[in-house]
Amino acid sequence: MSAQTALRAREGAPLSRAREGAEPRRRRRRWQPAWLFMAPSLLILGVFVIYPILVSFWYSLHDWTIGAAVEPFVGLGNYIALFQDPQFYNALGNTVELTIVSVVLLIVLGLALAIGLLKDGPVTKIVRSTFFFPTVVSLTSIGLVWRFLLDPDIGLIGGISHALGLPALDWLQSTTLALPAVIFVDIWKNVGFVMIIFIGGLKAVPGERYEAGRLDGASEWQITRYITLPSIRPTLLFATLILTIQSLQLFDLVYVMTGGGPIFHTDTLVTELFREGFVNYRTGYASAISWVLFALIMLISALQLRIFRYDDVD
Amino acid sequence: MKKTLAVAASAATVLAALTGCSAGAGGSSGPGGSGSGPVKLTVWTGFTGGDRPGYDQIVKDFNASHKNIQVSMTVQPWDTITQKLPSAWLTGSGPDIAAPSSDPNVIAQYVKTNSVLPLTDTGSGSKINVDQIAPALIKEYTYNGKLYAVPANYATLSLYYNKKMFAAAGISAPPSTLAEFEADAKKLTKPGGKQYGLVLADNQTIQMWPILQWLGGGDIVSSNNCSALASPQSQASLKPWVDMVVKDKISPVGLTGAQADSLFSAGKAAMEMNGPWAAPGYKSAGIDLGIAPIPAGADGHSVTLGSTAPLAISAKTKYPQQAQEFLAYWTSKTEQKKFSLTTGFPTLRTDLASDPQLKANETIATFTAQVPDARLYLPKVPQATQVDANGYVPFIGQITRGQSLSAQAAAASKTINSLTGCSS
Repeated sequence: MSAQTALRAREGAPLSRAREGAEPRRRRRRWQPAWLFMAPSLLILGVFVIYPILVSFWYSLHDWTIGAAVEPFVGLGNYIALFQDPQFYNALGNTVELTIVSVVLLIVLGLALAIGLLKDGPVTKIVRSTFFFPTVVSLTSIGLVWRFLLDPDIGLIGGISHALGLPALDWLQSTTLALPAVIFVDIWKNVGFVMIIFIGGLKAVPGERYEAGRLDGASEWQITRYITLPSIRPTLLFATLILTIQSLQLFDLVYVMTGGGPIFHTDTLVTELFREGFVNYRTGYASAISWVLFALIMLISALQLRIFRYDDVD
Repeated sequence: MKKTLAVAASAATVLAALTGCSAGAGGSSGPGGSGSGPVKLTVWTGFTGGDRPGYDQIVKDFNASHKNIQVSMTVQPWDTITQKLPSAWLTGSGPDIAAPSSDPNVIAQYVKTNSVLPLTDTGSGSKINVDQIAPALIKEYTYNGKLYAVPANYATLSLYYNKKMFAAAGISAPPSTLAEFEADAKKLTKPGGKQYGLVLADNQTIQMWPILQWLGGGDIVSSNNCSALASPQSQASLKPWVDMVVKDKISPVGLTGAQADSLFSAGKAAMEMNGPWAAPGYKSAGIDLGIAPIPAGADGHSVTLGSTAPLAISAKTKYPQQAQEFLAYWTSKTEQKKFSLTTGFPTLRTDLASDPQLKANETIATFTAQVPDARLYLPKVPQATQVDANGYVPFIGQITRGQSLSAQAAAASKTINSLTGCSS
């Protein structure tokens, strides 16, 4: 009903009473096949994406355990419990720390590498590929490899330390070193990806801008600050956004390297979600965590879009 | 006309997509009804270790001797089963039979959600020989007077030791008392992480610390489901070991089970408490291996940890009778004897305890000798996996990193009591 009214209003043309009945029906018929052809993908999207999202919100309002005879409605009870749970704050703190440190370092290092390796040449191509290589390897494999490398007793890094007469640090068993170690591996894995994105962005900057800058006697720093950075702002925004979302959702690397330990010192929101949902089977509680994470990602993404928005002069 | 065709075409597309979807999600059981070939049963287990051939053999023997029932066993990591099984069984798309995991009190969750079938085909002969299976295990799997699972295996932990390191330290025999155990652990430790006396894992492992507690008269959760960690006996039982880890560095801190195993097989640790599955790996790593019973505790009795994985049937299976027949076969005397001989596991049947052939095998004999002294970790404790993950594991983690034993015991007790519902 309202759709028909809206359709008519948009067309803005007065319809005769005689045509009123026929016109919308014909239009609707024209729509039908399109929807039906889209149906398979819509169905898959609906069943595997939209429905789970909606139903997870429904779960989060219940004391939901897979298979329990009764699933009592608790309203915002799970959210209230979550905000009183020290483990949640611990996981949130770790996630935020991990995100801030890794995103800032990734952007800075990625940009520095991109600028350094911008010029095409046989050497830079090899170096670029080397940096990019970890990106194509699965995070799980990387986690496993680094877990072995960092092992103080049987790992390579511990072995080198021993050989040099230095104490071997137990990176992943130490409550102070575990999170920095995970952040390091996360950066090591992603820096090549960020570099490639920035190289793409930098190559798209028109050469005339630099020429004009140089003619006006701008220093290298001024060129970077006033030409390069503003020109690659869309790339910066894209990279920051993607990396932030990725870091907030970090799971596999932590799961493989530390399992959230030692004593929850590398526990992230998603490892906590996994533990509550798939080990303790507290589906309602886990769903509440996922919605808080969703809200957090939305909020931070909105903030980033605002911070990076174009000025009118652009 | 054109429109009708378009509608028909798109309807066909949708149908194709739908049927495409459902074809992959077929049920677990084979062609239904008798007369259309053998009944097909599916089994999920997480036996990926060195003991796997033993389980595979049982399935192979069963299929060979039961032409009317064919079993196929899928082996996948325990983590994967833990994630998939509850919903799979709930929706009836899961396997007919599964070993959910070897976590403490794991069956309780499935009993609560009515996902597992109570076993009724019990008795002597070819039925499930409940009376011949270790009583502690039957007790663990019985809820409200009904038996819901049989043990897929039963392992005890023994003391693995590196004979070469013992000889180098001038120790002639493995420790047999708690005092010797402590002294040896210290004596076998070389400073600077060159050699550890006794590697102790505390996370992602079959727990080792409870044994040390039990030896000294301590406990984790008492029979009324209240935390026993803060009791004077428990603290006294932990204190010497915690001191040895913190001050004497007899073991690195925060090890997972796999890391502890690697240290022992790399020849960097002199002792480790582990189950029979570890023996083949250590031998092939070239360790001059000795296996001894866990030393006697403060009261003169030995005690060790027993570990078991339950084998249960889905409440939604189409073939409850055949599935129980398989469980009966799995736990039968002949198959269990064969299984022990293949894997070195102690037997879960009481009537095999004095079997001459099993006794002749030194490894099996050592592990079997400890069955009477074995205790399960967190037996029948409500929310046992959370008591472990949120209570016990962080507790051991904190105290081995030098935190105050009494303060941490109080904190862990609070966590544990809120999980188990202990009110006193």
